[in-house]
Amino acid sequence: MRIIAMSLCLLVSGTFGAQASEGERVQIKGEIIDTWCYYSGVMGGPDAVTGSAHHTCALWCSAGGIPVGLLAEDGTVYMVLKIKGDANSAGGDTQLNLASHEITADGILYKRDGLNYLVVEKVVTDHGITNLNHEDYGPIPGFAIPDPTK
Amino acid sequence: MKRLIMILAALASPAMAQDFSDGSEAKTWNLYGESPARFEAKVVDILCEMTGDCAAECGGGTRQLGLLRRADDVLVFPNKNAQAAFSGAVVELAPFCGKEVEVDGLLITDPDLGAKHIYLVQKIRNLCDAEWTAANRWTKEWAKANPEAKGKGPWFRRDPRIKAQIAAHGYTGIGPEAEKPFIKEWFE
Repeated sequence: MRIIAMSLCLLVSGTFGAQASEGERVQIKGEIIDTWCYYSGVMGGPDAVTGSAHHTCALWCSAGGIPVGLLAEDGTVYMVLKIKGDANSAGGDTQLNLASHEITADGILYKRDGLNYLVVEKVVTDHGITNLNHEDYGPIPGFAIPDPTK
Repeated sequence: MKRLIMILAALASPAMAQDFSDGSEAKTWNLYGESPARFEAKVVDILCEMTGDCAAECGGGTRQLGLLRRADDVLVFPNKNAQAAFSGAVVELAPFCGKEVEVDGLLITDPDLGAKHIYLVQKIRNLCDAEWTAANRWTKEWAKANPEAKGKGPWFRRDPRIKAQIAAHGYTGIGPEAEKPFIKEWFE
């Protein structure tokens, strides 16, 4: 029976498609965000999981290998696959150094199955952290900043 | 014209209407937009898949990995592993690079935010294997890679790169000195 099952497995193997797609050169201004917190709502609404309020968590997630995205001014999210020649999109230093920063990115946009993917060839401008929302939301999550009195 | 519309609708329907919850044993995270999803897929290097810029062994754990779903050829993007520890899915999927697998976890869908085919992977197995691997190895792999950071508390409080960032730029990123009044007031 196991031989039959293995044979069936071999028969269905190798049937997946694979395709590289055409890209489009774009220039996008937006914030480098942690996509899991943004998409899942695990820490709250989208306005709370961006900017200075969420900066420490953005560092944790970026270092933890969660994909980073570029949240454009119009609300579109671009999943960043490579940035300034660094293809280490799972915890790499380049993306970690840009956590929560607003940047103007020049690169190639790819689209597939409803998601946008971006290869950032050049950070034209690093505007730094411009979304100063920590006064509005406090640290997100609440334990991001350790209590200095303890 | 009516016939053409019906044909187009039939062609489009598998991707639009498919339900992947059958047989799923995924645990809920009580997230808005989550749905259990168990499906067969091939583990791919997303950068390679999209652009043709490929690396050996899918980058060996450095690149984001995708799940090319067998049923509809959709590229699913696993953003998260099964641990509540700010950890992604690449470490869990990297050993399966290029392999055909079955995964179980949660799909996240939120049209308002553009979340589509986003996935939290909870377990994975080779397509022809009976045994599942839990997608919770990230913290152990981090500990192996960071022996100097051994100590109490969660990894993200001990990670050298994160500590260096916070020392240089503060918890809010505006600078340690600049954020002092905010922190003082916040904890008063």
